[in-house]
Amino acid sequence: MVPTSYYILLSAALFILGVLGVLLRRNAIVVFMSVELMLNAANLALVAFARQRLSVDGQVLVFFVITVAAAEVAVGLALLVAIFRTKQTADVDEVSTLRG
Amino acid sequence: MDFILFGVTAAIALIGAVAMLLSRNAVHSALFLLMNFGAIAVLFLLLQSPFLFTIQLTVYAGAIMVLFLFVVMLLGAEQVEATPDRIAWQRPLSLLLGLGLLGVAVVAALRGEMAAAPPGGEAALNFGDPAQLGALLFTKYLLPFEITGVILLIAVVGVVVLNQRGRQKA
Amino acid sequence: MVALTWLLWLMPLLPLLGFLLNLFVIRQERAAGLLASAMVVASFVVALVAAVGLAGLPEEGRRIMSVGWAWISAGTFQVPFGLMFDPLTAVMALLVTGVGALIHIYSIGYMRGDPRVVRYFAYLNLFITMMLFLVMGNNLLVVFLGWEGVGLCSFLLIGFWFERKVAADAAVKAFVVNRIGDAAFILAMLAVFANFGTLNFYPVELGGVTQPGFLERVPEILGLTFGPSWQPILVVTGITFLLLIGAAGKSAQFPLFVWLPDAMAGPTPVSALIHAATMVTAGVYMMARTEALFVASQATQGWVMWVGALTALLAGTAALAQWDIKRVLAYSTISQLGFMVAACGMGAYGAAIFHLLTHGLFKALLFLAAGSVIHGTNDTQDMRRMGGLRKAMPTTFLTYMVGALALAGVVPLAGFWSKDEILAHALAFGNWPQLILLFLTSLLTAFYMGRQVALVFYGEQRDPHYHAHESGRVMTVPLIVLAVGTIFGGLLNLPAFFPGQPLAHWLTDWLRPVLAEEPGSFNFWLAALATLGAVGMGYLGWRIYTRSAARVKVGAKDPAYRFTGDIWDGMEEAWYVDAAYSRFVVQPIRGLASFLARVFDPQGIDGLVMGVARLVGVAGAGVRTLQSGYVRTYALIFTLGALLVLGFMLVFTR
Repeated sequence: MVPTSYYILLSAALFILGVLGVLLRRNAIVVFMSVELMLNAANLALVAFARQRLSVDGQVLVFFVITVAAAEVAVGLALLVAIFRTKQTADVDEVSTLRG
Repeated sequence: MDFILFGVTAAIALIGAVAMLLSRNAVHSALFLLMNFGAIAVLFLLLQSPFLFTIQLTVYAGAIMVLFLFVVMLLGAEQVEATPDRIAWQRPLSLLLGLGLLGVAVVAALRGEMAAAPPGGEAALNFGDPAQLGALLFTKYLLPFEITGVILLIAVVGVVVLNQRGRQKA
Repeated sequence: MVALTWLLWLMPLLPLLGFLLNLFVIRQERAAGLLASAMVVASFVVALVAAVGLAGLPEEGRRIMSVGWAWISAGTFQVPFGLMFDPLTAVMALLVTGVGALIHIYSIGYMRGDPRVVRYFAYLNLFITMMLFLVMGNNLLVVFLGWEGVGLCSFLLIGFWFERKVAADAAVKAFVVNRIGDAAFILAMLAVFANFGTLNFYPVELGGVTQPGFLERVPEILGLTFGPSWQPILVVTGITFLLLIGAAGKSAQFPLFVWLPDAMAGPTPVSALIHAATMVTAGVYMMARTEALFVASQATQGWVMWVGALTALLAGTAALAQWDIKRVLAYSTISQLGFMVAACGMGAYGAAIFHLLTHGLFKALLFLAAGSVIHGTNDTQDMRRMGGLRKAMPTTFLTYMVGALALAGVVPLAGFWSKDEILAHALAFGNWPQLILLFLTSLLTAFYMGRQVALVFYGEQRDPHYHAHESGRVMTVPLIVLAVGTIFGGLLNLPAFFPGQPLAHWLTDWLRPVLAEEPGSFNFWLAALATLGAVGMGYLGWRIYTRSAARVKVGAKDPAYRFTGDIWDGMEEAWYVDAAYSRFVVQPIRGLASFLARVFDPQGIDGLVMGVARLVGVAGAGVRTLQSGYVRTYALIFTLGALLVLGFMLVFTR
């Protein structure tokens, strides 16, 4: 059997890649996708722990995460489309009028 | 055997993630992410959760990524990042932080109980049974389940509202 | 006895009432003058009655103590507010109220028409009150109250015509220089309390408890010393030295005399009262009162003698070269005070008090007569513009002559007897340096008085721009009264020419319970030499200045300049003591003040405060750059924070 730590390391790696995506990409949609990647990494960790502890609760939690993620994506993309209509660009750096 | 499966799937997941990060074209990124989700679904299966494997493929790969692709193509926002980054030190700092996080993760992962292999045995055989999950869902986690339904409703309403073009002009 | 204690309080309270009425109620000039004078005359009568009452007591019991209330009551520090009356106090009180009354009456004439005359009389009455507290106080703190009070009145009265910058500056100078003496006085009080546990002169009873007095306890601390081990100083020496500095400030001795000539910017009656007869004598009184301490310290007595004698000579030379009629008298006062202080230093306290009395009489006379001259010559004070006034102002001239002769020490006027007693004491105790200095000073005194009389009253009027006239009766009558006092004042303390003489050293005997002194002996040859010298020098001075009257002009040098050269300028400037103060004390302090006001305050303090404000602004501007508006920067900071938290958790938790 594969030790849980491998799964955790993989999860961490995917999570970090997601963070880097959020920090480095300027296309708003790609940023969104990176967020989804982070969520998935978290899901993976949850399932791995659930398997280790033999507790189905972890999987139930993942179910909820997926559902809420779906809802979030829908709303987020709707927002993105609305912003795109005004700004004509999906560049994240363009939305910077709230400056000091 | 498990190790090989794990290794291959993990590799696919990582490659998908990295490729998603690196490609200039948003559509390419979406497709790579799709590949990543597929790999993760397989990993779920390896971790004895067939239900989640199905859900992942149906919802994530099937619905969410499709939605992403729709929006990308709707907006025509494939080539956004043609111009160089305005914030000068963003890239080096980000990489640095990434490495930091990696370090933390490695240390955390290698400490303690996680290093051990997951238990086998009798209890493990019937683990991950969808019936079990369903039972839990409708008893212990009933309230969160119902609330999730409400969340989805709200999402639908929100999406509709957000996409209405301004009807009432003053 | 009870009636006498009432009288004690009545004496200072009558003028105090006058002060309050003049300050708050009275508006008319006439009423102010009459009320103020009446109060002081009444006070004089009360003093007389009290003195007679005191004489009725047996010699050992001649001390009336009256305690008003417990002024300060703080654990072991008990100070009652009380007055006492003993022979020394009686003498001082009679002088203050008597001369004070005459000066009040004189002021009615002198200050006629002044817009603020009501306030003048109020201040004058307050002065009498404070001076009485000073001489009647039964502990050092009440004396100090009076001391400071007269200093305040001096300031108020010198600067009475405060529109004149000269007067305002002089008032401030007087106050500041006095303050140096006052600081020493306070330190002396502290030292007395630290060593004796009380500030009372004699034992006092308050509320059934008897508080001790320190004067009788002086022998107890004779052995105590303080200071570093290689130079121990007797405690008595320390205390008396501080008291000496205090007296030097108040009685205008070297080096704290510089305020007195400038104080002549005040009205002349003020100069007569405060700066001739009474306030400046406070230092001498204080030394006489604390005689027990001074006698115990040979070191300080030496200092006292030298300070007195040197001041006398220094001021005498300065008086020679002055042009202003009042400044001559001012330096003369400093010189005579030097006599008194030197006498104290020699242990001849009785002689010092005697000279204090006679000097009070004839110096007040001289000042008032000078005021009459000033009044009659349309406010001229420069002697080079006077001359030949004896024809126009005969009464003033005659009384002035009496005063001048007394000051020079011509027999049988009062000044001769008192000055001679001091010289006789110097000879008897073998203080040759002091004797020589004081003798020389007497000669100079006669000379400058001769000079002054010649310049003012003889010759022809050099400045035609005024019409000289005699002053009114209200001013000349006090002059006459003082002249009579001067003539007969010597009777107070005649030396014993032959045994069994009825009127011999009456004052010394009267003061014996307080000063414990035996009368001195009379030295005929010294007296004769002094008188002859005085007459001779006086005549010489008169002669030189009547002869060279034609060369006396405003702006020209003094005729005696031919003989002395630049030393004359040195004398005129009182050997540049004042200039030295100005250069080494006043200028640096002014510079420091200017620096603080112009540089340190606006740039330093304001800069600090403004700097804080600016710092906040700069910090704000700096922090504001964090809000770039770029979401990705914010995300970066989130991540950093997350990393730190995770790291913390990793390191510090299990």
